[in-house]
Amino acid sequence: MDMRARSRSSVPPIVPSSSEGIDDLVRRAQQGDLDAFESLYRAHVPAVFALCRRMIGDERDARDLVQDVFVRAWQRLPTFQGHSALGTWIHRLAVNVVLEQLRTSKRETLRFIDDSDTDVLPARSSENQLDASMDLDRALTQLPTGARSVFVLHDIHGYSHDEIAQMTGIAAGTARAQLWRARRALMRLLDQ
Amino acid sequence: MTAPRHLTEAERHGVADGSLAPELEPTVAEHLGACTACASDVARIRTLMTRIRETPAAADSGGDLWPSIRARIEQEKVAPLHAPMSGESGRPPRFLWTVAGVAAAVVIATGMLVRRGTSSTTFDKPAPADVTMHAVAESTHVYEEEARFLLNQLELRRALMRPQTASSIDHDLRVIDDAIAELKRAIERDPNNIALRALLASSYKQKVDLLKRVGNAG
Repeated sequence: MDMRARSRSSVPPIVPSSSEGIDDLVRRAQQGDLDAFESLYRAHVPAVFALCRRMIGDERDARDLVQDVFVRAWQRLPTFQGHSALGTWIHRLAVNVVLEQLRTSKRETLRFIDDSDTDVLPARSSENQLDASMDLDRALTQLPTGARSVFVLHDIHGYSHDEIAQMTGIAAGTARAQLWRARRALMRLLDQ
Repeated sequence: MTAPRHLTEAERHGVADGSLAPELEPTVAEHLGACTACASDVARIRTLMTRIRETPAAADSGGDLWPSIRARIEQEKVAPLHAPMSGESGRPPRFLWTVAGVAAAVVIATGMLVRRGTSSTTFDKPAPADVTMHAVAESTHVYEEEARFLLNQLELRRALMRPQTASSIDHDLRVIDDAIAELKRAIERDPNNIALRALLASSYKQKVDLLKRVGNAG
């Protein structure tokens, strides 16, 4: 099983069925039609929210970031040429917005850079032990930001370590270490 | 005889997610066949990854965020008015360029029209002079009234504005007012020039549009 070969189709399908309809909405939104943009927002917001929530780990912050993503999407929409699917374009935009947010926080940036933070991983103690039924999203919130972000990007969205290194500014080796740490922590949290 | 070394963390994750270097595969496979501890650990990692792959993202979209997003987009449409005169990027607000451009065009057009000594024959196919003149004067009058009303509203709101915003608005208004004053002087010299009066009406319209945008942003 080659996980690297897995495409980013793990992103939930967010493009409405009719690509012609989408193209028309995009064209109208590019010309300033906010109603058309609202339709695009409604089609894509579940995936963007899921991404933000999983990477940030906080629902309220995720909602703020979703707003940032779509405001930026509106601003950048005139530059969207249609070379990729709109969902892919918005997804990448959302990843960038989230990573920018993480970079602006010094504390979080340090966590991205410092890969020796074994002490910040949740221990499998009675205090931290979670119910076996705890869902993945809740477990993700328990991870340190750096490990969580790398995990979400690699194991959920299929980015390679090199891509993650480029996006986050950390070394590919650090990204690998963060990923392994995240998996170990999740195995403990999910009582696997 | 030494005990066989267990797989490293990199090898365990590598074999679980398929990123193991091909040249290591035979050795690792051989070890997994003989070491239940490592095999069990790799199986746990694989189970986690399968679980993740099969867990759909929640359908939750964080509530209806569209009203806030729309409000931000609408607000940013008039953002240049709120930017300081020499914004952080060192560039003047976008709207200022527009206003300055219009003002410059008005001045140039005024000069050309005055130099050509045109009157009601300025346009290639002029409408009957008295009718057109009346319509343009009426339009100017309406815009003047509306601008006066909006200016009063602006003054009421001025205390609530940031100084930079107020300063930016005042500057934009001055640019338009200068253009209007220039046109009025030209019209005094050539009272029957329909083109000049049309430009005057257009300048008033610019002023009204600016004041409306300020009002909408407020």
